[in-house]
Amino acid sequence: MLLNYGSRKLIVLFITMMNRFAVEKKNWDKILEQLTGRYLIYASLKDEFGQDYELLTAEGLPWVVYNEPKPFTPLKNFFLPVRENVTHLTEPEKQRIIIGIPNCDLEGLGILDEIYLDPDFRDPFYRQKRENTILITADCFSTQEHCHCTSYGIQPFSDGKGDGSLILLDGMVILTIFSEKGASLMEEIGPLADWAQPSSDIDALLDEKREETRQLLRTAHPQLPDYRLTGELITGSTEDIWKKYAKECVSCGACAAICPTCSCFLLIDKPDFEKVKQLDACQYPGFGRVAGGEDALREKHIRFRNRYLCKYVWKPEKFTPIACTGCGRCIETCIGQINKNELFMELAKQT
Amino acid sequence: MEPEPNNIYKPLRAKLTRVIDESPSIKTFVLEPEREFSFRTGQFIEVTVNGAGEAPFTPSSSPLVNDRLEVTVMKTGYVTEKMHQLKPGAYMGIRGPFGRGYPVERFYDKEVLILGGGCGFAPIRSLLFNLTAISQHLRKVTLCYGSKTPEDCIYKPYISELRQTPKFEVLRTVDAGNEDWHESVGVATVLLDQVKVDIPHSVAVVCGPPVMMKFGTLKLLKMGYPEHDIYLSMEKNMSCGLGKCGHCMMGKYFVCKDGPVFTYDEIRDQPDIWS
Repeated sequence: MLLNYGSRKLIVLFITMMNRFAVEKKNWDKILEQLTGRYLIYASLKDEFGQDYELLTAEGLPWVVYNEPKPFTPLKNFFLPVRENVTHLTEPEKQRIIIGIPNCDLEGLGILDEIYLDPDFRDPFYRQKRENTILITADCFSTQEHCHCTSYGIQPFSDGKGDGSLILLDGMVILTIFSEKGASLMEEIGPLADWAQPSSDIDALLDEKREETRQLLRTAHPQLPDYRLTGELITGSTEDIWKKYAKECVSCGACAAICPTCSCFLLIDKPDFEKVKQLDACQYPGFGRVAGGEDALREKHIRFRNRYLCKYVWKPEKFTPIACTGCGRCIETCIGQINKNELFMELAKQT
Repeated sequence: MEPEPNNIYKPLRAKLTRVIDESPSIKTFVLEPEREFSFRTGQFIEVTVNGAGEAPFTPSSSPLVNDRLEVTVMKTGYVTEKMHQLKPGAYMGIRGPFGRGYPVERFYDKEVLILGGGCGFAPIRSLLFNLTAISQHLRKVTLCYGSKTPEDCIYKPYISELRQTPKFEVLRTVDAGNEDWHESVGVATVLLDQVKVDIPHSVAVVCGPPVMMKFGTLKLLKMGYPEHDIYLSMEKNMSCGLGKCGHCMMGKYFVCKDGPVFTYDEIRDQPDIWS
C-alpha cells in the first residue's frame, strides 16, 4: 500500500511524518517470519534457561518477549565481539535487525560510539557493524531485581534513540520510527500487513504502564545517591572502602565483560601480521603492567577502584555521559556477590 | 556500504635493514617502511614482531627523515626479547605515528634542558636531531643523561658528535663508574646541580625510567621551573595507540592519544603518574 506513494524519498518522508504504526500481534509474527529470510534478526528470547538476545528463526517466534527488561548479555556484544580478527574487513552478507533493546542498553551504546567512532581514529569494524544494524528499542513494563536505570537519569522506555521502537500492548504491536534506516524498514514491511494508527486508548494505557515502571524503580532503590554526585563520592573516598569491597573480588573480570559500556581490549598478534582484538578488563592482573615491570594497577583494590574511577570520574570528564546505565548486570554476575549499589550507599553515608 | 579505506589496526610492513648494539641490553633497529612514513618527534609507533606481539616505541631517529626510521629497544619483556633475536632482512610491522609529540615550536628563543635516563635517551635523541636542525632559533640545549654503568651509556658516537655541536652541551653520569669513567657519578638528577640555566627563558624535558621522571620533575620544580614548562614523556602499556583499548589510561587521559608528551601541570592531579 505504502509503495504506491511514488519515489522512495517521499515514502521515507511520509513514514517519518506518520511516525507510529500499529498492527495485530499475529500479523506482526508473520512479518517477522518473512523478514528472517532476508535479515539476521536478533530478538530478546526467553525460555527455561533465561532471557537473552538470540538469532531469530521461525521456530523461535513464540519465545520472543516484548516490553521485558534487559536480556542477560549487553547490546555491546553485537558491536564488540569478545574476539575479532581485525586484519581484513569483509562485507557482511545480510543486514541485521535487533529488536527488544531496553533503553539502558541503547544508552550504553552511546558511549561506545564516542570511543569507536571517534573521527580521529574510526574503528572500521565497529562502524561497519553499526551501519549494518537496525536498532529497535523496547519499553520495560516490569523491572528485574537490580535494575536501577532511573537512578542514572535513564528512562525505562524508548525515548527516541535508535532507529525505532516496538511495544506490544493490548494485542497490538506498535512500531514507532525514529530514523531513515527505520523508515526504510517500514517501507519494506508496510505492504505486508494492514497497519493502523494506534488508538488513543492504547496511548493512555502506554502512559500508565510507563509510570508504573518508573514507580517500581523509584521504590526499589530509594537510597542510592544522586548519580551526578557519584564521581565526587569516589574521588573523596578513602582506601579502606575499596579494600573492603574488593575483598571478595577474584579478578575474574565478569563485571567488565557483562557491562554495556566497558570496552577495553587487547590487540593480539598472529602470524602473517594478523591482528586479533580481544575484549580485556582492567580487573585482570597485568592489565596496566609495562615492560619494565611497573604496574599502577598491581593491587587488587586499586584495580577494583579503577573501574569505578573510569566509569564515574574519568569517562564523564572526557565523554558525554557517566559510563553506567544502571542495568545492574555487574551485580547479578559477580561471583563474589559484590553489589555496587551497596558500595555507593556506603560511600554516600561516609560523606 | 563503503569499506573503510584505512584499517587502523593493520600494520605497515617495514624491512629491518640494520641492528646496532648500543649496550649489552639495548639495540637500535633500523627500519625501512614499505612506503614513506613521517612522524613528529616524541610521537610513538606500535612495532609488530610478526606473530609474537606489538609494543609501543618512540622512534629514536630524526623526524626529518621519512624513508627510514630507528627504534632503540631495551630487552625487558616478551616482545623486546623476540625483537632482539631478529636479524637484518626480517620484516616487522609499524602502526602510527600516534599521539602528541614535543611541541618544538614552543622552544623557540629558549634554552632547552633535557634530563634523560637509560633507554629514555631514545625519544630524546630524536628530539635532539630536531633541535639541531632548528638550533638557530634556540638559545642553548643542555643534555643531562644518566645510566647505570659506563657500559650502559648508549649512542656513544652521537654523544661525541653532539659535544662538537655549537649551542649543545652534554653532561653524563653513571650510578657506578669505573677507572675509565671521568664524568659524574650518581643518579641522573645530580647533573641538575651542575647546569647553569636561565630558568625564565628555559623549558625542561624529562624522559626515562619512572623513578627518574619523578625525582627529576620534583627537582626541576624546586629549581623554579613552572609546571607548564616541564615536558614529560609518559610510559604506559599502550596496546592500540588509538584511544580505545584502555590500557594506557592515566586518569582521564589516554596516554596514547592525549600524550605521550604532557606538561607536568596537565597530569599533576592524575593518579599513579609515576608508575
